[in-house]
Amino acid sequence: MIQVNNLAKAYNGTVVLNVPELKIEKGESFGLVGNNGAGKTTFFRLILDLIKANKGEVLSQGTDVKKTTIWKSYTGSYLDEGFLIDFLTPEEYFDFIASVNNLSKGDVKKFMDQFEDFFNGEIIGKKKYIRELSRGNKQKVGIAASLITDPEILVLDEPFASLDPSSQIRLKNLLKQLKQEKNVTMLISSHDLNHVTEVCERIVVLDKGKIIHDIKTQEDTLKELENYFAV
Amino acid sequence: MFKWFLSHQWKEMTRSNFWQKSIVINIIIGFFMLIMFSYLVLLGLFIDKILLDIYPEGDVFEIFNGGIIYYVGADLFVRFFMYSLPVINIESYLPLPIKKSKILNFILLKSTVNIFNVLPLFVFIPFALKVVLVNYSGTLALSWFVLMIILVLNISFLLHYLKRKFIDKPAFVGVLALIIVSAILLDKFDIYSLSEISSNIFTYISYNPLFIIVPVIILALMYVINYTYLKSRMSIEEVNVKKQRKVDGLSKLKYLDSFGDLGEMILLELKLVWRNKRCRSVINMSPIFLLYGFFFYPQEIYLEGFGFLIFVGVFMTGGIMFNYGQYMLSWESNYFDGILAHNIDYQKHFRAKYIMIISTVIISYILTIPYVFFGTKVLIINTATFLFNLGFLSLLLMYFSSNSRKRMDMTKSSAFNYQGLGATNWIMILPFFLLPILIWIPFNLFGVPNWGIAFIGLIGVVSLAFHKSLMKIVVKRFEEKKHAIAEGFREL
Repeated sequence: MIQVNNLAKAYNGTVVLNVPELKIEKGESFGLVGNNGAGKTTFFRLILDLIKANKGEVLSQGTDVKKTTIWKSYTGSYLDEGFLIDFLTPEEYFDFIASVNNLSKGDVKKFMDQFEDFFNGEIIGKKKYIRELSRGNKQKVGIAASLITDPEILVLDEPFASLDPSSQIRLKNLLKQLKQEKNVTMLISSHDLNHVTEVCERIVVLDKGKIIHDIKTQEDTLKELENYFAV
Repeated sequence: MFKWFLSHQWKEMTRSNFWQKSIVINIIIGFFMLIMFSYLVLLGLFIDKILLDIYPEGDVFEIFNGGIIYYVGADLFVRFFMYSLPVINIESYLPLPIKKSKILNFILLKSTVNIFNVLPLFVFIPFALKVVLVNYSGTLALSWFVLMIILVLNISFLLHYLKRKFIDKPAFVGVLALIIVSAILLDKFDIYSLSEISSNIFTYISYNPLFIIVPVIILALMYVINYTYLKSRMSIEEVNVKKQRKVDGLSKLKYLDSFGDLGEMILLELKLVWRNKRCRSVINMSPIFLLYGFFFYPQEIYLEGFGFLIFVGVFMTGGIMFNYGQYMLSWESNYFDGILAHNIDYQKHFRAKYIMIISTVIISYILTIPYVFFGTKVLIINTATFLFNLGFLSLLLMYFSSNSRKRMDMTKSSAFNYQGLGATNWIMILPFFLLPILIWIPFNLFGVPNWGIAFIGLIGVVSLAFHKSLMKIVVKRFEEKKHAIAEGFREL
């Protein structure tokens, strides 16, 4: 599904990411962990063609993400608030994203009904612009928008951060459901080892831009990771 | 404390990615500056000769003082467009144990250090030294010079107040403009003479330096007014009251739906402009462009020539376009990553912007048609420049919009945040204004100025006809630059 070859990114001569090879299979749930500055967001930005790599390439279903935009039609993503058009209401934002993906407003309505629990009555019909929402609610809008198109690949950067505990649990269930029912390929980064080991079947640890662990999630994976990150 | 503020401001300025933009642009700006400085110094050195040429009978000092009132008016006018209010990110200082008064005093004092306060000195110093000191006396030169400095500071603070006020309440400045226009009209009808009043005041104070106390008191008042106004705004920001605002009617604008996703994108542009204070204040300023004709058309000298009329035509029919077009990507800086990552067709995205731009040009043109009152020549030139703006400059502006690198924070309330409303932005688009004149000059040299006007219009029509292919070039450039743009916009 996603194939990374020889990918490297440097800022002012400092290498922030260097991944010689990485392959993510269809339907795989891929968890990315690492301390601040490990290169997680950089990696996701490269996958989404938001920054230019110094060398190497990211292939999505065999085509280079730099060269075509076909991948955008089957990739849903939310990295940060820079994705949200903040002067729209959440409904208007969903309508906009649906419209550029050629979905009807009826589709949006049906789709949003699935998120009723996750939104907890704080998003829809509130007559507020996105910029007036709390950080957690903004995050929910962004995550929901990334799912509108029924994507085959989902890229989320720290989706659990700034969500309240109930929402974190709901999001976990939602992601598990997406995997089981629709076999979505998921790329999720997180600082919360608990959540990420629960949702993802493969965990990759980044440190200073390099992959230093690549493990299948098992019983003791959480312990292993905790040991690794303990100083 | 001031030491810290100063060092923070210095760091903010030197570390801004404005300087990293392009060495070529920096050199061009520097070159313009140098030319401007030398012109001003020359003006200060030889203004006595010029004045004596026009009024051979008079006293140079008194004539010069008579002109000062016009200088004040012109200065206010220029500053109103060119001067960006000092920005200081007060949110980061408010939670700290710093007295509010210190922050406010710093903002106000900082505002006195700006290019517009320095420029007049390039004229005043040579005049004081070469004319007043030599022909009159040293004490007179000194008292006059002090008076001028106080005057410049007064202008600076007055403008500061007006510009802030304008962004909060545009109508206020409209009323003020009306007062100024009527003052000029009364002067025209010889009810009184502005230059005589000006000459009397400034000459009298210079000869009686004790009276300098009057402008000083006015200056102190200006300072206090600015201070209290800023203070009232500051507390609003501090408490951060979230008023329960209603969502506006744009969300119910269903008409555009029938245009599919292109309609949705145009709707997005409309909301962008309407719902962000920053864009709205730019739009509020637009009527001023349309009034530009009133400054030029009533005067025979301008009507006889072509150059100024072309300039005015481009400015009036394109003023709003320039304002919108040059910021069209910066205004999206808050959500630019979203634009790139989502499945948005850049062709359509730019097409929506193009439709917005040409709509402003068409509306501006229709509104300037009544200027035909000043002659059909005005209408013909405005039509040619309209076509040029519509077909050619619109696309050129979009082409260069891919040069944007600076994030503009639209969410910050505008009371303390005016980035991107200043002089450099105008210098950047100056070449656009000059381009049609440059095209016209060769025709004029061959004695067929009217053909030049026709050619300007023709370029517009031809590029309008090929706008689809030209748009592809615009979008291609955007696609090449998008990573660099996104990187600039991510920097807070």
